[in-house]
Amino acid sequence: MSGEITNIVVEVMPHFEGYVYPNEATHQPLWSVLIVLYPYITGLVAGAFIMASLVRVFNVKALEPVYRLSLLTAFAFLLCAPLPLLFHLGQPFRSYQVMITPHLTSPMAIFGFVYAWYLMAVLLLELWFDYRRDLVEWSKTTGGFKGLLYRIFTVGVTDTSEASVKLDHKIGHILSIVGIPSAFLLHGYVGFIFGSVKANPWWGNVLMPIIFIMSAMVSGIALCVLNYMILTWIRRRTVDMRCLDVMGMFLFYALVVDAAIEGLDWIHRVYSAEEGFQVMQYMAREKLFYTLNVGQALLGTLVPLLMLGGLQLFRHRVSDLARRRMYFMSALLIVIGVLAMRWNVVIGGQLFSKSLRGVMSYKMEFAGMEGWFMAAIIFVLPFVILTVLVKLFLSEKLPTTAAPSQPAESPA
Amino acid sequence: MRLPPQVVRLLLLTVGIVGSYLLAKFLLTPASFGQYGFYRGDALMEIASHPIALAGRKACAECHAEEVEQLAKFGHKNLSCEGCHGFGQAHADNPDVKMEVLNYSHCVKCHEANPSRPKSHKQVNPKDHFPGDKCTECHIPHAPSEVP
Repeated sequence: MSGEITNIVVEVMPHFEGYVYPNEATHQPLWSVLIVLYPYITGLVAGAFIMASLVRVFNVKALEPVYRLSLLTAFAFLLCAPLPLLFHLGQPFRSYQVMITPHLTSPMAIFGFVYAWYLMAVLLLELWFDYRRDLVEWSKTTGGFKGLLYRIFTVGVTDTSEASVKLDHKIGHILSIVGIPSAFLLHGYVGFIFGSVKANPWWGNVLMPIIFIMSAMVSGIALCVLNYMILTWIRRRTVDMRCLDVMGMFLFYALVVDAAIEGLDWIHRVYSAEEGFQVMQYMAREKLFYTLNVGQALLGTLVPLLMLGGLQLFRHRVSDLARRRMYFMSALLIVIGVLAMRWNVVIGGQLFSKSLRGVMSYKMEFAGMEGWFMAAIIFVLPFVILTVLVKLFLSEKLPTTAAPSQPAESPA
Repeated sequence: MRLPPQVVRLLLLTVGIVGSYLLAKFLLTPASFGQYGFYRGDALMEIASHPIALAGRKACAECHAEEVEQLAKFGHKNLSCEGCHGFGQAHADNPDVKMEVLNYSHCVKCHEANPSRPKSHKQVNPKDHFPGDKCTECHIPHAPSEVP
């Protein structure tokens, strides 16, 4: 009897409606929540880096208090960006083979090159040049394991002469300039991966890379706002309101452009009403109602737009405390809204049949390699890494000599 | 012109990192990689060496000729034996290994009402049609148009 019951349980049909092809009637989509996290984390990296570039390249002085925090945020998240992919692929004993057999014609394999370029040639170098003088100073004054780490990070270069520091600033400035298109490349690439799937009307769209870049900027800046406010709260310091206002301003402008492009995408889809439009309508009304309409559009876009837009108009009439709360809430909603957007793209694109006449469903499991518990661990990991990085490189006990916004030859 | 020390150190570091990567690539790339294409050549043999799970209708017919003949006369003639009965190689090798027990779920795989299925295909709503789980009480799967 128990054998029969087991058979029945195993054979329970996956839930789907209408007409789906046999290979689509699976218990869960091929790309699960881990693949939702992958563009999300990558986007946070690109956005946080753009945030830092505002200081170094565009010389936005008000943002100096968050310059290093933004770079470290980008670094912590970049270290974890390939993890969802590697966990999703499984095969922990073979995963290194992805790196040692690079493929030049597969768009997916190109991530290895984009990632390696961004990590090794842009972010690590920029961090090193920015921190080099401090690392030399700290390695002299700090003992123990921390001191040893600082000494290792100096790579044996102890020259902190004026000319040498000038050169650091100059190279850092060039790296920042190279870093902006690289950040765009990193996340535009992720959008391209989806946008180039022309068989899927939900994904196949030339606007996709641009939508991904803009939403990455929005989520990255919002994450920096959150990190900055949480860090100052933990340290019992007061928030630099000028810095926060400027961050809020950039967040607002980025959100306006992001919302405009995504709105344009939808207007285009609605007006052209191509073959897959009916199933997309169904998705928006039923399957993705909460994540698309409530999560992404209402809470993740409209409410923050109103709050941040209101603050642009009436900033001087709103108290500091209320502004802080509004910025925090807006940033939090945006970060959640962009996660909902990634969900809508990745999962939404797999929930309808290629026949365009049927839909599947996805119920996230808790445990297991593709479960939400694993996804939560991977998402928390960059925050743990960031905490260690902040303790090492943003410690209040260590004197800093940072002056990131000015390349040496610029007028003071 | 003398290069600044930090640039020299970075260049050395870059050479070291790229060199380590190339060394790792040389040492860790599986020997048979690229033998036939962009994959391990040995993978083909590994896959081929997996135990065979499906026996095929001919193997079934060696002992169950009567059932196979009966099946060939009726509507289910194009179905494979193992489509309903499950993997059969283990049973073919050793008849003491029992086959999967047939139950309701095998039938509804194809016969549960679904608007996307052609009208000519027999379909039922299992809850209304017969709330139990024994289709075989009324139907003979090997001769679906016959009455027991």
